[in-house]
Amino acid sequence: MRSNVTPASTVGGRRASLRRRAALVAAAAIAVGTSLYGLGPGGATASSHREAPLIAADPAADNTDLYAFVSPERAGYVTFIANWIPFEEPNGGPNFYPFATDARYYIKVDNNGDAIEDSTFRFTFTNIDNRGNDTFLYNNGPVTSLDDQNLLFKQVMKVESKFGDGPWVTRATNAPVAPSRVGAASMPDYQKLRDQSVFTFPGGWKGFAGQADDAFFLDLRVFDLLYGGDLSEVGQDTVAGYNVNTIALQVPFKDVALNEDVKRNPVIGVWTTTERKRVRLANGGGSGGWVQVSRLGHPLVNEVVLPAGLKDAFNAIGPVKDAGIPAVVKRVTEPEVPKLIEAIYGIPAPATPRNDLVEIFLTGITTKAGGPIKADLNSQLNNADVNPRKFRPSEMLRLNLSVPVSDNPNRLGVLAGDLQGFPNGRRLADDVLDIELQALEGAAQTGKLVDALAAGDAVDSNDNAFGDKFPYVALPNAVAVNTVGGGTRAGSSDQSGSTDPSQGPATSLGGDSDVMPMAMTFGGVAAGMGAVFLTLWWRRRRSTGRHAKQYENPADLTIPLQQ
Amino acid sequence: MSSASSRAVRVTVTVAVAAVALVLVGGIVGRISGPSPVSARAADQATTVDRLEQSITRAQDRLRRVPGDWRTWAGLGMAYLERARVTTDPVWYAKAEDAVRQSLRVHPKGNTEGLTARGALANARHDFGAARTDALAAVTSNQYYSEAYAVLADAETQLGNVKAATAAVQRLLDLRPGLPAYARASYDLELRGRTDQARDLMAQALAAAVDRYDIAFCRTQLGDLAFNAGDLARADLEYTAGLAADPSSITLQRGRARVAAARGRMDQALADYAVITRRAPTPSHLLEYAELSRAAGRDAATPLNLAAAAHELFRANGGIDGLTGAALAWATGDPARALAEARAEWSRRRHVDVADTLAWSLHLSGKDTEALRYARRAHSSGARSAVYAYHLGMIEKSLGSVEPARRHLREALAINPYFSPVDASLARQALTELDSR
Repeated sequence: MRSNVTPASTVGGRRASLRRRAALVAAAAIAVGTSLYGLGPGGATASSHREAPLIAADPAADNTDLYAFVSPERAGYVTFIANWIPFEEPNGGPNFYPFATDARYYIKVDNNGDAIEDSTFRFTFTNIDNRGNDTFLYNNGPVTSLDDQNLLFKQVMKVESKFGDGPWVTRATNAPVAPSRVGAASMPDYQKLRDQSVFTFPGGWKGFAGQADDAFFLDLRVFDLLYGGDLSEVGQDTVAGYNVNTIALQVPFKDVALNEDVKRNPVIGVWTTTERKRVRLANGGGSGGWVQVSRLGHPLVNEVVLPAGLKDAFNAIGPVKDAGIPAVVKRVTEPEVPKLIEAIYGIPAPATPRNDLVEIFLTGITTKAGGPIKADLNSQLNNADVNPRKFRPSEMLRLNLSVPVSDNPNRLGVLAGDLQGFPNGRRLADDVLDIELQALEGAAQTGKLVDALAAGDAVDSNDNAFGDKFPYVALPNAVAVNTVGGGTRAGSSDQSGSTDPSQGPATSLGGDSDVMPMAMTFGGVAAGMGAVFLTLWWRRRRSTGRHAKQYENPADLTIPLQQ
Repeated sequence: MSSASSRAVRVTVTVAVAAVALVLVGGIVGRISGPSPVSARAADQATTVDRLEQSITRAQDRLRRVPGDWRTWAGLGMAYLERARVTTDPVWYAKAEDAVRQSLRVHPKGNTEGLTARGALANARHDFGAARTDALAAVTSNQYYSEAYAVLADAETQLGNVKAATAAVQRLLDLRPGLPAYARASYDLELRGRTDQARDLMAQALAAAVDRYDIAFCRTQLGDLAFNAGDLARADLEYTAGLAADPSSITLQRGRARVAAARGRMDQALADYAVITRRAPTPSHLLEYAELSRAAGRDAATPLNLAAAAHELFRANGGIDGLTGAALAWATGDPARALAEARAEWSRRRHVDVADTLAWSLHLSGKDTEALRYARRAHSSGARSAVYAYHLGMIEKSLGSVEPARRHLREALAINPYFSPVDASLARQALTELDSR
């Protein structure tokens, strides 16, 4: 409360008149009979009761990450991994994290470059809720299998697909969803529950949905740049220890490639969306269609390339509209971050317009769009059967299915000569933040990494090791994350080489963790009741990267970009 | 800036004084019955930590570290406004204003979040014109920003711009279907008399509720919808279910007190209102307490005085509310003042409540012909309001239009026989008089 009060002459005057008024009121009230006056606004009035909440939270619809890569252990199959609901706190008390049953979750593929989906996969969920009205507990005893009667709440998933103008076809129903991991006592063998929720269905398809370790790794404080901060605080994996909800799908190349021919048309573009029912007031509140409320292609596009103001637009529109929004194209061609880096570090920002970024983010790396990066890597324009006149630049993750699985995967992906890596699709261990920072500073165009930013955010790998077969993502963490805000920070501890996330440092129960790292705008689709505008900047956890790193550091700083 | 803070200081002090006064003079510490057995769903949310509190703490921590984060400044302002809404303590408006100003100072141009938060603050202070201006600027800078449409919808609704309000709500529904959208859509339908659909949408909002404050809000609206339709049993159920999730909710306690009064349990209702007005001494609560006291044959002077004081505080904090001003004037036997307040409010905005208030104020000043116009306008707007029908009926009676008067008074009692502790019986009395002619 401020103390620099400046009493105005009206203050005393107002106080005095208040006293006089009070006396008048008292006198008058006694005199008035009840029959003459009805009191107070009633019924539909009293607008003070009409102040409705303003901040919307929809974590269950919030896309956090998308990965797309050629399956390393299963030739001829592509894997998509899409995550929702960021910052799920392990052991969050009675909270668990179901998928929304009134939303539709999508993975979409464009294989001819017109920015319209050609193969679409839709995932919807149903609750099986046996809790009744007398308990809110998730389970009432140890859960040893997905069929265990002690598991009172679970979900099942339906998978549908649509190809071109064809109809929606149901591919799987009642597929079991891996439950939220609520602790060792309740779920002594979570691996078994995970195994039971990986399923194979016709066409050789594999699917999985359920809670998993958040595979992303980065120090979000890097983006304090945008608010006057600098890159001095790095090295802590902001999302370490948290879980997400994952949907993973593995399908043969032919089900996503143009004309089912991956030899002629190896490049696909991928993005993920969430939809909710549209309510129409003119319809008396009935529903009428669906609205897209979230969308994601490349990671960190909203931090690294576009201003957050366009994030809302992104969430609402499909890729086919991107080229028509001048602000989108402008921001890609004139990004903000390089200017900030130049101001702080003196590293000259590459000359605008940044057509190299247009190649990376909007068309794919190709020689066929007149861009500066002279390589043919991952644009649909490189598909033999594509009509180039129908090609539309749009933001989506582009993957060339014919690039072979790398023997020596490098976390810096294409920039380190590992052509199977980001931005050619995205593997779990690709260090997308470092790659994008380097790309912003022109590394993709010059072929040289920028030394001054070599450390990037100094978070080079995930806190948990990935698996070597589908669905690859680590089991969900089972121990609460450190919290700092309340002064309860545990000392930095590492996991002593263990790869089991449940053996993390014991900590007090964290508070809520309902904020998406990627969205710094409040009120964006970023999740979190009442905390939408916040990121968990204050949450700390020492990067524990002591596990065997899957990918090594780059030794070679030059980048051959020819395929 | 400093004058707002100095007002805030005075506001806090005077509220405290008023509260103490209420305790000393009223002195009744009521017994409020405890919540019903907890349902599974409610318990899920009720046991979560206070997320609003956490958000505020985190925002403050963040801003200490990164003071240039204008988005978090704006978000902090919004959180303070939510706090103000839930607690009804106006001191949070000043804090909200500080945070919002900071956001706009750090990032003056194209600051969608800051403009939206400033608009939300204006709405809270009933400066709906300013809110509308800010919200429109916000959507101009970012036409996909859902919160701005929520602020715009609120402003247009209160200004009485029905079409613009509906358009803003629809846009909000299309961008971010969720509780804020469903709640506003529900109110939109209610204002047009589609009460069943309003209830369905509010039920959807309840299904999207994330914490106990959300549940309390939705249960309040559902309870009020039922109460306003005379369905006491349903209203009671909703309020009780809401209190199970959030026993501290003032709006739910108020609902339950009104149910008690409607059922004739006056001692209970008065006790409840004593507690409510101690915790949340807003003008409307105090006016309702005064009305209830009068209906029970008790002295209404103290709550009336406090209502007047609370209204002064609201105005000292930058608020403008002619509806409350008029209602206060009715209650204290000052029809000239009521008319002045109502006319002034009408010149500011054309919300249907204002039409009704102006009609009644004109009637109390003996200007029934003019009153009839406004009463008809309110009544024909579509909202199913017992109060509008009652006011219209009484004005028609006063003008000697017997049949319409009879019709509308019956309508009022048919919509909700409990619409007011005092006026419901006045309506019945008037009907008797009319029937005996």
